[in-house]
Amino acid sequence: MDISLIDAAVQGFFNLLHFKVLLALVVGVSIGTFTAVAPQGLGMPLVYAMALPVVIKWEPITGIALLIGASSVSAICAAYLPILFGIPGGGGSQATILDGYPMGQRGEARRALGASFMAGGMGALIGTLTLIIAIPLAKPLIYLMGSPELFVVVLWGLSMVAVLAGNRPLKGLIAAAFGLLLATLGQQEQSGIMRYVFDEPYLLDGLSISIIALGIFGIPAAMDLAVKKVGVEQQPAPLTGSLFDGVKDTVREWWLVVRCSFLGVWVGIVPGIGSSVVDWLAYGHAAQSARGGSSTFGKGDVRGVIAPESANDSKDGGDLITTLLMGFPQGVSTALFIVALLAWGYLPGPEMIKRNPDVIYSVIWVQGISGILGTLVGFALSNQLAKLAQVRYSIMVPVIFVFVLMGAFAVTRDTADLITVVVFGAFGYFMRRFGFPRPAMILGLVLGSLMERYLYRSMMSYGFTWLSRPAVIVLLILATTSFIFAIRGKIRSAAHVTSAVGAAMRKEDAQDDS
Amino acid sequence: MTANFTLLFLAIFVGATYWGWTWPYIAKMMPLYVAAIPGVILTLVQLYRDGTQWESQEKNRAKGIEMDEVHNIKLDRQTELWRTLAFFGWFIGGAVGVWLLGIIYSLPALVFFYALIDGKEKLHTSLIMAMVTYGLVWGLFEYTLEMRWPPGLLIGY
Repeated sequence: MDISLIDAAVQGFFNLLHFKVLLALVVGVSIGTFTAVAPQGLGMPLVYAMALPVVIKWEPITGIALLIGASSVSAICAAYLPILFGIPGGGGSQATILDGYPMGQRGEARRALGASFMAGGMGALIGTLTLIIAIPLAKPLIYLMGSPELFVVVLWGLSMVAVLAGNRPLKGLIAAAFGLLLATLGQQEQSGIMRYVFDEPYLLDGLSISIIALGIFGIPAAMDLAVKKVGVEQQPAPLTGSLFDGVKDTVREWWLVVRCSFLGVWVGIVPGIGSSVVDWLAYGHAAQSARGGSSTFGKGDVRGVIAPESANDSKDGGDLITTLLMGFPQGVSTALFIVALLAWGYLPGPEMIKRNPDVIYSVIWVQGISGILGTLVGFALSNQLAKLAQVRYSIMVPVIFVFVLMGAFAVTRDTADLITVVVFGAFGYFMRRFGFPRPAMILGLVLGSLMERYLYRSMMSYGFTWLSRPAVIVLLILATTSFIFAIRGKIRSAAHVTSAVGAAMRKEDAQDDS
Repeated sequence: MTANFTLLFLAIFVGATYWGWTWPYIAKMMPLYVAAIPGVILTLVQLYRDGTQWESQEKNRAKGIEMDEVHNIKLDRQTELWRTLAFFGWFIGGAVGVWLLGIIYSLPALVFFYALIDGKEKLHTSLIMAMVTYGLVWGLFEYTLEMRWPPGLLIGY
């Protein structure tokens, strides 16, 4: 390994050894755990949106500890709802229902939870190790990149709109164009021209991305709970059996864990597939490859818990490879994480590897440590966490109110921020209602200013000749190819890549109907 | 209704193009040529699709991945409308309260009244929630973290 990277890795670890950072990590782990077991409607995008206005005022490493700690643990503890209540937890744990819930019903809930925590912890470590290995491999390539290449990388990130738009690429492109437009509000850095300011001092520096994110994600999530007026209504499966049996199962099935973890890392790296399918892909793979799986899967086979959980938790490592090394997000949470990095003055992607490798390693350390913490929390507090899953909407909604309003006010303490959050809250509600994907808008918003900066530098330095640079041409071809593939539904087909997955989904639908 | 929302996007993109038209090239390159003008074209295509019910026909044919949460409230229209309006009423009321009374008083009040009236929680549960909120906003942020919240228009502290 490059000696400077070893120094950076050591420095990255020492960055964490401060009381505030460790406290933030513990708070992040607690928030992530609560988010994982809280009733439907909460998720990491909402947590990131609510935390962002506060953490961007902190020291970067403290904020990173909270954000990464929360997301890492959230994935590990996401199996509570599927196993105990038979309802989907956070994205990536839906397939766990198929075997986790039957296990819970026949008195093996603790065994299923034990297997899920252990598989999740092992998956998270494999994801983190892959991320560690990816950095020295990518570094030589990154040093070849100038502004033109960085512009194309950002453009490539923007092409992911087609993927983040899921079913609705056209609406996704509209949302992304709107995000790009919002990113240009305020005084232009390069020319000093006031764009869409309308003599309003509040708009001089543009709109805060964290306030927009807070509005478009926070308010619709709270509204969902308030309008449905639900929590988890059904009784949980009895919390019986032994956690240690699940651990033994997972250790015995270590090869399945490794295979599914690498599947998760791959899904994390490939732009746009994301958590919606990672668990189904792993489940499908396990159902096809496990001995006797065709007759036992769906009836409470512990391998049906181990496979999706290990893949789901290793995916975060893959996500961070693309986010940190390339600078473009894989989903809403990583987009908001990029917003935080930008607010702290880092430029995620090649520039960050060149200038702040120690911060990248701090992210990796936090990811690894919180993976272990999440597993331990899951084991230690399984009884208490099961009760948290029954929190009522009448308690959750005011909590979201408090954090959204406080978050809106925390950024600049300007009353106009309250108006902004209300306006974007309504906008987010209508976007979701009419199927305009909000992640695409956030992507446009986050990448818009970066894109403009690199394009300006490229034009000033090279004129139009930058378009003939070999690396630019290669990257443009890659970006165009991935965009076309995404548009043509190559990614969609991943949702039902194996017949086993399709069968599993149909089975789940049937369960829902009954 | 979807078309109305698409029309809102169209109006925004057309307005952005109109206001930015006279800027120097360097300033209008991103907002106009990358965002607004393509935005106008895309929204026109979307309007055509909205008008011809293209999306609902397509939805029946392909089942892709949803990358954003899907609106899946299954209530009758009237109930959903009233609850949505009530929610926004609470939220906007909270924002106005923050503006008039300051965040330290209005957030505990919002939590108390929401839990009591909309959530139908017991009085003591609502009071405890309000006190915890006060502890968070004043005790943690204002006092411990020295995050000075601005006073309200009517009440200073």
